[in-house]
Amino acid sequence: MTPFLQITGIAKQYGPVMAVKDVNLTVDHGEFMTFLGPSGSGKSTTLYILAGFEQPTRGDILLNGKTILDTPSHKRNIGMVFQRYTLFPHLSVGENIAFPLKVRGWSKAAITERVRQMLSLVRLEGFEDRKPVAMSGGQQQRVALARALAYDPPVLLMDEPLSALDKKLREEIQHEIRRIHQQTEVTILYVTHDQEEALRLSDRIAVFSKGVIDQIGTGQQLYNDPSTRFVAEFIGDSNFIDTDVVSVNGRFARLALANGAVIDGVPTHGTDFRQGRASLLLRPERIDLRLGKSEGVLPGAVREITFLGNHVQVSVDTQLAAPVDVRLPFGHAALGGLAPGLDVSLDFKIAETHAFQLEDRVPAS
Amino acid sequence: MLLNFNSLGIWKWALLTITVLTAAFLLMPILFIAALSFGSSQWLIFPPPSWTLKWYGALLSDPRWLEAAWTSFRIALIVTFFSVLIGLVASFGLVRGRFMGRSTLRALFMTPMILPVVVLAVALYAFFLRIGLNGTTTGFVIAHLIVALPFSILALTGALEGFDKSIEDAAVLCGASPLRAKLQITLPCISHGLFSAAIFSFLTSWDEVVLAIFMASPTLQTLPVKIWATLRQDLTPVIAAASTLLIIVTVLLMLIAAAVKKGLKA
Amino acid sequence: MAMVSLAKPDNEKRNARRRPVLSRDFVSILPALLLVLVFFVAPVLALLSRSVTEPVFGLQNYIALLGSSTYLKIFFNTFFVSVLVTVISLVIGFPVAWTLAIMPQRWAMVVFAIVLLSMWTNLLARTYAWMVLLQRTGVINKTLMGMGVIDQPLTMVNNLIGVTIGMTYIMLPFIVIPLYGVIRKIDPAILQAAALCGATRFQSLRLVLLPLAAPGMIAGALMVFVMSLGYFVTPSLLGGTANMMLAELIAQFVQSLVNWGMGGAAALVLLVVTLSLYALQLRLFGLAGGERT
Ligand SMILES: Nc1ncnc2c1ncn2[C@@H]1O[C@H](COP(=O)(O)OP(=O)(O)OP(=O)(O)O)[C@@H](O)[C@H]1O
Ligand SMILES: [Mg+2]
Repeated sequence: MTPFLQITGIAKQYGPVMAVKDVNLTVDHGEFMTFLGPSGSGKSTTLYILAGFEQPTRGDILLNGKTILDTPSHKRNIGMVFQRYTLFPHLSVGENIAFPLKVRGWSKAAITERVRQMLSLVRLEGFEDRKPVAMSGGQQQRVALARALAYDPPVLLMDEPLSALDKKLREEIQHEIRRIHQQTEVTILYVTHDQEEALRLSDRIAVFSKGVIDQIGTGQQLYNDPSTRFVAEFIGDSNFIDTDVVSVNGRFARLALANGAVIDGVPTHGTDFRQGRASLLLRPERIDLRLGKSEGVLPGAVREITFLGNHVQVSVDTQLAAPVDVRLPFGHAALGGLAPGLDVSLDFKIAETHAFQLEDRVPAS
Repeated sequence: MLLNFNSLGIWKWALLTITVLTAAFLLMPILFIAALSFGSSQWLIFPPPSWTLKWYGALLSDPRWLEAAWTSFRIALIVTFFSVLIGLVASFGLVRGRFMGRSTLRALFMTPMILPVVVLAVALYAFFLRIGLNGTTTGFVIAHLIVALPFSILALTGALEGFDKSIEDAAVLCGASPLRAKLQITLPCISHGLFSAAIFSFLTSWDEVVLAIFMASPTLQTLPVKIWATLRQDLTPVIAAASTLLIIVTVLLMLIAAAVKKGLKA
Repeated sequence: MAMVSLAKPDNEKRNARRRPVLSRDFVSILPALLLVLVFFVAPVLALLSRSVTEPVFGLQNYIALLGSSTYLKIFFNTFFVSVLVTVISLVIGFPVAWTLAIMPQRWAMVVFAIVLLSMWTNLLARTYAWMVLLQRTGVINKTLMGMGVIDQPLTMVNNLIGVTIGMTYIMLPFIVIPLYGVIRKIDPAILQAAALCGATRFQSLRLVLLPLAAPGMIAGALMVFVMSLGYFVTPSLLGGTANMMLAELIAQFVQSLVNWGMGGAAALVLLVVTLSLYALQLRLFGLAGGERT
């Protein structure tokens, strides 16, 4: 079966800058796919290539098995919501939503009916005659969404549509987007650099780094099984501990910590460790903390306790180079007697750790 | 506290005096001319011994003045059209293009504005003599277009820089062809820029003297050329009448411009 | 795999084809560029070239221009009047722009409207007004005599006094408007800070406000100076033939004397000065409304 949307080997060069190096991706029909990555990692550029505003230097994009690169933007029938507000300022809300329909030569009656439907989809009934300037940022983006969906595009692109809104409003509209996605079954490619937003909305997430996709997967996969140190750092919180590689056995390694402890069976994803060193990932919330000295892997002393609402962050000095952060749920048994300076010991499940190369992965090019 | 009007003490009065005197200095000649144009004295005695409309009568019944005004108007309209059109197309390229030498091109387009117009006038005069454009409407239009275009480009590049291209992109993704998106979405959004470009172009051509003196022929002259030629002979009050009418046109255009600006803000 | 490697060259060809040879953005500049090249750059260069080819090839025109006391006096007049106009405009323009920037909005609007009105009023109308006002039997002479300040009418037209007054009138808005913009942008808190530091008003003016406004003053002054150097209409009408300025000289060479060689040479002198000052301005302040990238 041909995949719904297939991006193969896309690259884009601006003069000396490689904005996108090699992006490969397959998206299923009706999927909510999020591009997550730091600023400048090539998310928007990939989206613009899909929209047809930029031509790729290399690579191809296939929709239902056919290339769309030869189709100009205005004939691609793709919807898009932009980061900045792009409502046509001289047209009313209704006229904005009607614009793509007029362009397509719909009849007046059909347009009126469709505009009404779309307004109710984004819950802005009655705003038809408003001018965009008289609306809040959140409302404007909802109208933009209605406009982009009015002509039933097979693919909807969204480039950080909520980044200009405050946190509360953002969460509210995230909900709306999720609902609308379920209601319309449109395929969505969504760009953000906010991991929480990505986790909340997406079926799958593609993590961008320096013009390539580091890993694609559900939020859980990315969190539990990051394939690079970069992904591990980007999704969830992390401690990285420098270790010596004692031996590698298939996809597992035996590592020696600076305090002399040796742990065996650390998952490596087949990483090729250079210079016999590795970086060990410990998720702060996957570390168990017990009071008192014991023969746990990581004995240490409490350095600092920070109350963070529904959890407590404990920073522990061990014999390692940097303190290790531990996150305990509010009400955790150990919290009662905890105070700075107290002896504690840390423990973790080796299967939940990962070993990466010391440095960030060297780009493939 | 020099930027707080009320804590300036005695300086406040000194500054106000200078400003009021300067405003009077700037306003006086304009009011003076308007008054003289209604004065009865051929010798421009002030205050006039009595009031009259005869200079306006003389002006408006003289076909040479009327023809000069019509010529000016016609040329200014054509110049405005081409200046806005060419300036608009060029501004798109200047603002959005990624080719090399863009800033050099911009500086080149601005030079007619800072170059002494007499040099351009003499140079074009020589050129037009050779190719037979002297004393023709085309010659006038080209000459005025050269000096109007910088204003048009300045206004339109400014407007386009303030316009978020994503809005046009959104229209294109909605299915509008790039041309349609520009016409139906971008142009309405930069209408204030188009409007200033048009007003500046019109006034530049309408008021232009030096080029016009060199382009004019006995059969084709603009209003400023007619005034210039008359002025060199004597200071007849008919010129005061003509000047007053010109001032009224200017004031009207300024008021329209202000109204449009206000309307855009609201 | 085989299919992929087969598909690839095809793909690349298509990607290459999509890049246009001449970017559309550049094409859109062509009409304006052609217009400016054909009817501006080329004619001006042609005129300048005539200065070294007419009547024969050589520098004779420049030698004649710079070797004659008549022409040198015209250069001096031009320079002298331009400096004078610039200085007077600055001295008047600074306090006016300053006042405009801080006076109550409503009154500032009125003054601003007057400035704009005078700027946009037809140049000949304004010059005509000054010809009438300044003539021997004009209002100014009559008023001064009536007040007993003078007992002989002053000669204020057909000399450089008239030219200076008329030109200052025209140039003043070109100082006031940009300078107003500059002073508006200065944060009043800076001057409050100066006052709190113990600066007297005069010290604040000299040490804080003037230096902060200096870029605007220099930019305005350069513009006014350059415009004055090449001004034609007002000097010819108010100055008379005995007090010619450079622009008139160029026109005269071409119109009355039909001496294109000398006309071209004088034009080149004017151009060189103008363009160097323009370049200096670009260097100091960048292009007005310039690129934001
Ligand atoms: N038109 C352009 N010309 C030159 N370089 C560009 C252009 N557009 C993007 N780039 C460069 O390409 C790289 C990737 O940019 P892109 O906008 O795709 O990043 P992004 O992942 O969307 O980042 P952000 O989160 O900041 O939006 C950046 O280094 C950027 O500077
Ligand atoms: Mg982006």
